[in-house]
Amino acid sequence: MRHFISAWKIGGHSLRENYKNKFFSLFIIFAGVLIYASLLAGVMAVDEEARMLTDTGLALMELMTLAYSVLAAASAITREIETKTIYLVFSRPVSRPAYLAGKAGGLYAAAALMLGVMALLHLSLIYSRGFTPPPFYLKAVFFIWCKILMISSVTLFVSLFTTSTFSAVSIAGILWILGHFTSEAKFLIARSSGAAALALSAGAYLTPNFQLFNARDLGAAAPPPAAPGFLAAYLLVWMAAPYLFSLALFRKKEF
Amino acid sequence: MSAEKIVSFSDVYKTYRRPGLLRTFEAPALDGLSLELERGEIAGLLGLNGAGKTTIMKLMTGLLFPDAGSISVFGLPPSGMAAKNRIGFLPELPYFHPSATASEALAYYAGLSGLNGPAARARIDAVIGKVGLLPHAGKRVSEFSKGMMQRLGVAQAVVHDPELLILDEPVSGLDPLAIHEIRDLISEFNGAGKTVFLSSHSISELEKLSGRVFIMVKGRLAKTIARAQWESTPGGLEEIFVGTVRAAA
Repeated sequence: MRHFISAWKIGGHSLRENYKNKFFSLFIIFAGVLIYASLLAGVMAVDEEARMLTDTGLALMELMTLAYSVLAAASAITREIETKTIYLVFSRPVSRPAYLAGKAGGLYAAAALMLGVMALLHLSLIYSRGFTPPPFYLKAVFFIWCKILMISSVTLFVSLFTTSTFSAVSIAGILWILGHFTSEAKFLIARSSGAAALALSAGAYLTPNFQLFNARDLGAAAPPPAAPGFLAAYLLVWMAAPYLFSLALFRKKEF
Repeated sequence: MSAEKIVSFSDVYKTYRRPGLLRTFEAPALDGLSLELERGEIAGLLGLNGAGKTTIMKLMTGLLFPDAGSISVFGLPPSGMAAKNRIGFLPELPYFHPSATASEALAYYAGLSGLNGPAARARIDAVIGKVGLLPHAGKRVSEFSKGMMQRLGVAQAVVHDPELLILDEPVSGLDPLAIHEIRDLISEFNGAGKTVFLSSHSISELEKLSGRVFIMVKGRLAKTIARAQWESTPGGLEEIFVGTVRAAA
């Protein structure tokens, strides 16, 4: 119970730190401007204006939340170490698992808040144009959040062994891109053999498959998404595994 | 009857290791250190830069782990939750999130120490008053001067009413008035029967506050001096310190 309370407090503090951060507001404002600027593209799409507004808005929401979340996750713990605020935490009865869980929880909550505000801005645009959002809208926003949960967890872990925030962000960016090409990787694996197939398989399994949660596919003539149980299990694995690896690195870390 | 020992270092070794491209660079910090703190005393730690003062404090608070030897705090391992519950720590140049107010920062650290609800609120108000930050409780930390930041640092260290207060350079860079107020706070804390362990570069500060002073030279405990000894020595603690450091060099 004590660990849970510590994690809850650290999570709450991390969330406050995030939403009080001026970059948090700047990212939302910038996303809002871009979402409203997509009105021009929507008008040019004529009959497809509603779809254009929805797709562009969702893509912008995903990109902006991704950019902020990866930056925040890459610096969440390293900044506490650099500023030595971590001394004030770990000189108290706070366990390392609780600290990591709290930090991750705060980042997840900040991403949810950011996505929520962006979604409101986006919906206001859709309604102001006299359209209604598609039925999969909320599911699409939720799926974007799922992708952010996975990449934030991985980035937090990567930040514990990389030498700088920049390198953690770079690795996260590479994983994000690779994770959107899993089906192409599978195609290559099927056509390869020997060491190449082995290397490609290892790469594919060590990269989260973001295609499973692709929001745009929900509205397009794409293959139906995987079963909810599988998606939930996949998400949990990609949140739990980085957490456990982080814990292994963090357990004996000195400050 | 001898006083209860609440902190014990026994033959402790600590070396910092920094991995390089071809080899690991090693910097020995503590070399077979043994010392004990007694309940209710104010003990000072004196030494040149790199003598191992901060390392000792980090080992006591479980931020570092010893390479060899044993450390116990209240008879418990310092990295355990039970020992940490009873410790308050002020690191050198404490930092708080700039957008938080003094009250919010204290509430966060009080919460991490297990204080919640109205009891926490009352305690935070009392501690903020005690360190003289009551008029600034609602101000953002980014507006604080160095002295105010240090007071907030002391407040977070005592907010959960610890039995042992560990202060790393508590008066470093402060103006004379702030130094006087921090000194009063430490004395008041000790007056309530609590133990204080502090490091400082200021010999006069340690002379005013401490009952005993440990002199560290290159990671070794070179000398332990009681107040009576430096008071009876011409030149006081400074003379003893200089002599000890020169003899060990």
